[in-house]
Amino acid sequence: MDEAVPLERRMERLNAIVARLEGDQLELDEALALFEEGVAHIREAGRTLHEAELKIERLLAGPGGAVATEPMTDDGSRADDAGADRPG
Amino acid sequence: MTARPFRETRGVRRPPATGGWTAGGARPEAYTVSAVNAMAKDLLESGLPPLWVQGEVTGWKRHSSGHCYFGLRDRSAQIRSVMFRSEAQRLPADPEEGMEVRALGRLTLYEARGEYQFVARELEGLGAGGLWRLAFERLYRKLDAEGLLAAERKRPLPAHPTTIAVVTSPVGAALQDILRVVSMRAPWTRVLLSPAKVQGDGAASDLARAIRLAGRDGLADVIIVGRGGGSTEDLWAFNDEVVARAIADSPIPVISAVGHEIDVTIADLVADCRAATPSAAAERAVPDRVALARELNAAAARMRSGLERWVRTRRSVVERASEAMGRSMRRSTRRRRERLAAYADRLEALSPLGALRRGFAIPIGAAGRILRAAAEFRPGDLFDLRVADGSVPCRVAEAEFAREEE
Repeated sequence: MDEAVPLERRMERLNAIVARLEGDQLELDEALALFEEGVAHIREAGRTLHEAELKIERLLAGPGGAVATEPMTDDGSRADDAGADRPG
Repeated sequence: MTARPFRETRGVRRPPATGGWTAGGARPEAYTVSAVNAMAKDLLESGLPPLWVQGEVTGWKRHSSGHCYFGLRDRSAQIRSVMFRSEAQRLPADPEEGMEVRALGRLTLYEARGEYQFVARELEGLGAGGLWRLAFERLYRKLDAEGLLAAERKRPLPAHPTTIAVVTSPVGAALQDILRVVSMRAPWTRVLLSPAKVQGDGAASDLARAIRLAGRDGLADVIIVGRGGGSTEDLWAFNDEVVARAIADSPIPVISAVGHEIDVTIADLVADCRAATPSAAAERAVPDRVALARELNAAAARMRSGLERWVRTRRSVVERASEAMGRSMRRSTRRRRERLAAYADRLEALSPLGALRRGFAIPIGAAGRILRAAAEFRPGDLFDLRVADGSVPCRVAEAEFAREEE
């Protein structure tokens, strides 16, 4: 199961799986495959819940209309600035 | 005509001593027109301090240079007035004809025409809200006529955004409030700051630029645009047309969060969702982790009961088929049932429904109905006994009603 699936897509898929399993139009193999997929989505989404670190980035308009990002600390400064402040 | 003595004023070029008629009858020297206007200008400019003038605006004209020309009048008099571009561009709106205003400025003389004029540095509309209200209402009517404020344009917010973009000042309290709420509710979220100037000169165009940047290339799933509270003037950029249009053009939903004011801004009206504060906007933007955990549990329970019902309604069909087709088919059915039980076990680990595992069993009768009373078991009836790792087909030998405690 691809862990990079966005949570939004995962939850939409999970709701679709639940709706199909609650319907009556499935063959057994199909039902089991859906069930297995649903279990995987629940497991992966549950894993997301335990991710504790907020990721903050600053958007920068680069040359030629390109967009870049750079990491930030949550006090609004640049992450590399914060690093530079530390001695050693 | 006699020359009247000039009033003593500092810094005014006095007419030369030879000015005016002299006793000798010699022809006096004449001033050039320019010299007279220059003297009159000096007099006007040095003779009066900056002053507030109140009157009605008439003939307001904004020249292509950005300078604004108008008259200030009352019942019996009028003053030609001008407001230069650098000041005029700070006005929230051009005043309407006949609008009562107060203007701060100085008197001067326009030498090319020899006309005196009032150079206004500030101009305030009188009455409720003044020029601010006027600007708001004008833009409101314009955007409303284009349909940009219509309820049908409002898009639903994503329920589980992966990335939210925040358009605000990198040093404001609003950003901190948003980060605090997101890290509490949905710490897996990626937050992209699109920094912008939120007040003062150039704030509106900078906000518009930052909104358009945040909406680019599928970077984020939703945008929060906002700032903490402030005066009408502080919040003014959020009433600017360029900001309204950037929000309306956004390819992803926008939540506005402008201050704690009761007054709505144009940005609030164009946005897909309006929150009263930056914290409230963050609450609208991301789900709460507790709610998400509940949602996952509910999905697990529904999947489980959906599959169980599938088995209940299909089993009789499968069994009839298996009998007809012989033992090999029956074996394959059994294998499938074992696989199903294994899947159910995996779900059990995710689900709060562990009652069966603790040794309880559920008798399930015809049409999948749970049998709850002894009276529902008639001798000879078939039913399934659902236990933790599967289900046991049973036949009722006899039923006995529970007796009172002996």
